[in-house]
Amino acid sequence: MRKGALLAGALGAATVALVAIGTIWPVPEAVAYAGGQSLMPKSSTPEAAVRNLGDEIVLQAWDKAYDSLANKAEFTEQEFVGDIKGYYPNLRSYSDVDHIEVFPLHASANDGDVQLKLYWSTVVGEPVTTRNLHVVRNGDRWQVEWPLVKKTIVPPQVIPVNYLRWDVIYRGAGDDWGAQDVEAPHVRIVDMHPVQRAEGVVVLGELLNEDVVPAYVSVTATLLGKDQAPLATEGSFDKICHLLLPKQVTPFLISFPDASLSDVRSIRMTPFSTLVPASADPVIEIDSAKLNPAPDASLTGQLINQSGQVVNVAHVLGTFYDSTGHVVWVADQYVDHALLPQTPEPFDIHIPEDLARKVSSQRTVVASYVAGGAL
Amino acid sequence: MAALAVHLPLLLMKLPLKSYDTYFHIFFASHYLHHWFNPWNTKWYAGFSQVTYPPVPQQWVALVSRLVGLDLAYMLVQMAAILLFVVGVYRFAKLWVSPRAASYAALASVFLGSESFLVYCAGQLPTTFAAPIYLNALPFLFEWIRRGGWRSYVKATILFTAAAAAHHFTLLFGSFFFALPVLALALLDRENGERVSTPSFIARTLAIVIVVGAAIAVVLLPFWIALIHYPVTQTPIPHPSRANYILSPEWGMNYFVVPFGALALALPFIFVRGSMVTRLRPLLLGFWVAFLLGLGGTTPVGHLVLRRAFDVLTMERFSYWATLLALPFVGLLATELIDRYRSRAAVSLGVLAISTCALAVSWTIYHPADPEAFDVTSVAGWLNRDGHDQYRYVTLGFGDEISRLAQLTNAGSVDGEWNSGRMLPELTRYGGAQLTSAKYYGKPGLDSLRAILTHADHYGLKWVLVRDHYYDPLLSFAGWRPVDKLDEETITIWSKDGVPPATPLNSPQMPPHWQGVLWGTLPFGSNILAILVLFIPEERQQKARARYRFASEEDLVPGRMAS
Repeated sequence: MRKGALLAGALGAATVALVAIGTIWPVPEAVAYAGGQSLMPKSSTPEAAVRNLGDEIVLQAWDKAYDSLANKAEFTEQEFVGDIKGYYPNLRSYSDVDHIEVFPLHASANDGDVQLKLYWSTVVGEPVTTRNLHVVRNGDRWQVEWPLVKKTIVPPQVIPVNYLRWDVIYRGAGDDWGAQDVEAPHVRIVDMHPVQRAEGVVVLGELLNEDVVPAYVSVTATLLGKDQAPLATEGSFDKICHLLLPKQVTPFLISFPDASLSDVRSIRMTPFSTLVPASADPVIEIDSAKLNPAPDASLTGQLINQSGQVVNVAHVLGTFYDSTGHVVWVADQYVDHALLPQTPEPFDIHIPEDLARKVSSQRTVVASYVAGGAL
Repeated sequence: MAALAVHLPLLLMKLPLKSYDTYFHIFFASHYLHHWFNPWNTKWYAGFSQVTYPPVPQQWVALVSRLVGLDLAYMLVQMAAILLFVVGVYRFAKLWVSPRAASYAALASVFLGSESFLVYCAGQLPTTFAAPIYLNALPFLFEWIRRGGWRSYVKATILFTAAAAAHHFTLLFGSFFFALPVLALALLDRENGERVSTPSFIARTLAIVIVVGAAIAVVLLPFWIALIHYPVTQTPIPHPSRANYILSPEWGMNYFVVPFGALALALPFIFVRGSMVTRLRPLLLGFWVAFLLGLGGTTPVGHLVLRRAFDVLTMERFSYWATLLALPFVGLLATELIDRYRSRAAVSLGVLAISTCALAVSWTIYHPADPEAFDVTSVAGWLNRDGHDQYRYVTLGFGDEISRLAQLTNAGSVDGEWNSGRMLPELTRYGGAQLTSAKYYGKPGLDSLRAILTHADHYGLKWVLVRDHYYDPLLSFAGWRPVDKLDEETITIWSKDGVPPATPLNSPQMPPHWQGVLWGTLPFGSNILAILVLFIPEERQQKARARYRFASEEDLVPGRMAS
């Protein structure tokens, strides 16, 4: 009897102890589902307060996140969410915060500054939002003062729309997709250049639409070995502007991860084009484009949406040339704010350190996505 | 009769069609219906082998579907499994408790929350099909170990093999949670004051382990060959059953409260009675370990004991097994409560049982597997016409409907729902599961989607069927164009120009013809054999079981302990 009671007590106590251990020090899989939370004391330091806020943003627990702010009286929860996710549909509307990082900057007895980095998982690009947060002590806990960026209001105005548009009349309902009556637009690769990088071989260059009609374009490259056998085939995917108006040029970049240029004898390039309906709208102006030298070499500037509609996602493609006019690198950035009419939005494209010294000029093109686009 | 009364109407209403995995198993069954001896299925992952999943329940569905169609065949096979389950619980419980308590346990099994959860919410036909076979095999194992006799030996061997052919995990883990306690019971058990001798115990245990092991190796040979050549090395995929149920109460509700229901109230009794009565201690220990593992990430046990398997397995099956192991205790508790409180106890227990079952059955409504389930018939029709099925497709935002779509269309997809069967590097490298739900897997899911779209030309992937505008920017910037809309414009079809028609991938995973013949013959044959051997009459000693001592209150009187 005593042995049985002892066993029951031991199993019961072990069960409770294991549950307690698993809750106070959760296993990594459980931490992930709890959004990085455990039953550890909260907001007892400036860093913990920011971390808790970050965890709530990851979990999209907006009520809790908003309630935890020291200056919540200054704005509404809707404005707080809009400041993080975007007031207009943009890249962050098509994203979730994947993880966060917290860096303490300064702390005193009653206040502190902490940097919060939000790493987004997005369908395109890899945006990071960095916010320097002021944290204040309130009794035995710390609270974040959120530095709200107010919604940009576009003033009422009339914007004349005067742009070119190309429509295409297809054969009829029985057509196969892609089968057309007309010849494909003439496109030409005007420059092509393989580069060996640490992550593999990169093929970059430029493609010109020589025709007088718009073209949907893509480029495929096949690496051929010493015996002319194909080693790998890859496409430009999103490192290209797929819609080219007449006489437009787009850069392209094709990656071959883990490939070595020493194994490659030649490269077979296959440009593809097909006729598509298109319009020149929305027109996006690139303003104040500037090459910044190493260290931290980059191409900066701002985009100005000249049309009257909101551009939800903009993709900036920079082509970098050496002094002889050859392409030495292609880089890109997705702008994570919507482009409002006539409202400048900055961009910043990083240039690899080792290539930055060769760069003497650049050309920038912008591709855009507008939600609910035409079918 | 109770099982029929409760579950037959629910199954005839096809309630399991709302669950997570029912269409998945119907999809597998539809392949067996058309290609019984060819397990290479080209409709998912640009081709994958169905020998990566034991086939028997799906083959039964395929066979019965020739009479009543796939959906109803699934329901009938599930009903048969539930009936077998009740019998299995009775026979298993009778090893530990009196026949009357075992009857209560069997009755409780009809209302068991975890069973209803797996049937109506999870749609885990193989687990709920294999467990009853396994439970029915255990009494034969006990008979064989305790007294020998070729009939028990043959029946146990064939039933264990049949259970493995239905669901290999049930046998693998069942050996620890169910068979070890039964072996311990056979060792502890006294008949006329005598125990089985240790040499006999060892010899009989080895005899059955070796023969069952060999039989399973042969019956599932293509499965083992596939597993050895292509072990599951892909990046683990998150699953909420590994959450801490206290820190994530929504998953605690889903994976603890619903499966256990009122059975959770019996936990103190299980611990106390299981510890007090010597012959129940092996059962208690089996229950305890399964219970801890079933708690997922609430305790560190699963992470420490299962190691990498913790990131591969889903934990709700352990809760299921824990509740099966708890049923003999429940029968015992019911007996004592009814003896003491008569009708008041019977009514209370009935209310608790019905409430538990009701919660688990209705959970699929309150917590639907796919909140926006929709009809994919129009999508299948679009893919099947005008040569669209010459190309492969992928869906985005279709949830669990991709199994249904795959069943209805002739076109192949690069996506699928059977993660262990996929071999495309774009899918295995990142840690995302279905592409159709890529965004829910965060960066790994989206990386995987981008990788497969990058190689669209290679796979003949021309169509992306989108029901979630979240993915539109990706498709737009990657060079895809919307070409059609379906279902009142809720579904957009995106196309990529210049993609060549899909060609069969010359995959090394494709099983040779002889494996297809084995796969179509031996696992199903083991089930037929299992049915046939049950007609062999039982041995006479069985009747002597009436004289056995069972765990009941009198065991608690000091001095009468079996130990």
